Amino acid sequence: MLGPRIAGRNGIELRPPTLEDQKRHITWVAQPEVTRFWAPRHGDFTPERAEERFKRLAERTDAIYWSIAYEGETVGFTGIDDIDWVRRDGESGLFIGRHDLYGRGIATEAVRLRTRFAWTHLRLHRVHNWIALQNRGSRRANEKGGYVQIGLYKGYAYRSGGWLDDWMGEVSPERVFTRE
Amino acid sequence: MLGGIVLGNKATLRTPTGDDLPFFNALMADMRVRREGQVWHEPATAATWKERLTEAAKEQNAVLWTIEAGGAAVGLALVTWHSEPGHCDLRHLVIDPARWGKGLGTDAAIALHRYFFDYLDKRVVAVEIPVDDERALRIAARLGYTEFGRGHEVYYRDGAYTDKLYLRFDRETWNASWSHEREYDPFPDGVER
Repeated sequence: MLGPRIAGRNGIELRPPTLEDQKRHITWVAQPEVTRFWAPRHGDFTPERAEERFKRLAERTDAIYWSIAYEGETVGFTGIDDIDWVRRDGESGLFIGRHDLYGRGIATEAVRLRTRFAWTHLRLHRVHNWIALQNRGSRRANEKGGYVQIGLYKGYAYRSGGWLDDWMGEVSPERVFTRE
Repeated sequence: MLGGIVLGNKATLRTPTGDDLPFFNALMADMRVRREGQVWHEPATAATWKERLTEAAKEQNAVLWTIEAGGAAVGLALVTWHSEPGHCDLRHLVIDPARWGKGLGTDAAIALHRYFFDYLDKRVVAVEIPVDDERALRIAARLGYTEFGRGHEVYYRDGAYTDKLYLRFDRETWNASWSHEREYDPFPDGVER
């Protein structure tokens, strides 16, 4: 399903993705600056496939997806995948496609909005994720949103002569509301 | 995708067929199986199971096997591939509770990991197991899995949450403990000539 519009701070909002956003996605995932922690930087990067993907994402009942907008323009995506409605658990993800905007707190605000929505509207009990340990910006954004480390998966990917590790995190409503 | 034949000593993993579907349905409806973790699918009609098998055959990132022993289906296994090629996740290795305690799960697991490490050249296999699933944890420990994470309050059943353990099995461990487990005999000297 596609998530509703949620206004945040500093010109950031989550909003339902559009087909045009999906077409931006295929240009972003082809760029080396954006794919250091994402793989494989090849695929069927055609508008037809983007349209199919958009339709498939929108139809899913076990996931929710948003575009992240900054000052009115789509700059990335976030969402919660593989939601188990009995266990009320899901796996979150976040992707900023505009690498020229890294470091402006966009991911931090998107995580905050997404996490609050998970508790206050989806009634989830837990959200977890996997982030490259070396992806400090994304990891810090999630930690600020209440995620805590629950494990470390060493050597999950090989990039530029070295191994990346995966930081495993989870967050619960108690943690977030206690902090607030 | 559907798996080909992987031979164990007591159990054989083989290509699933439509004839296995009533058994899969019964397996997923068994509360003892459901307690072990995620079901592959919920119980459903025969038509729905047929669609699921068709979808499983088309799925590029997962492989499904039927586990057989003594000429009868006794379980199923499902693995998913990572975007990073050296890794895979063992999502399901389910044995019919009526056959528990006969070593079929351990035997099928050894055969399957031999296929991962010794044939497909995988580096790491990962699994997720509820902390109170002693049977699965015992098999994992025997093979050489080690814990690398713990999710809190993940599985909900019997009116309460249970934690889950994240475990990994590295090829170095396989080679150190199970290098005698080869599918094919070594080539004779001079075969390259």
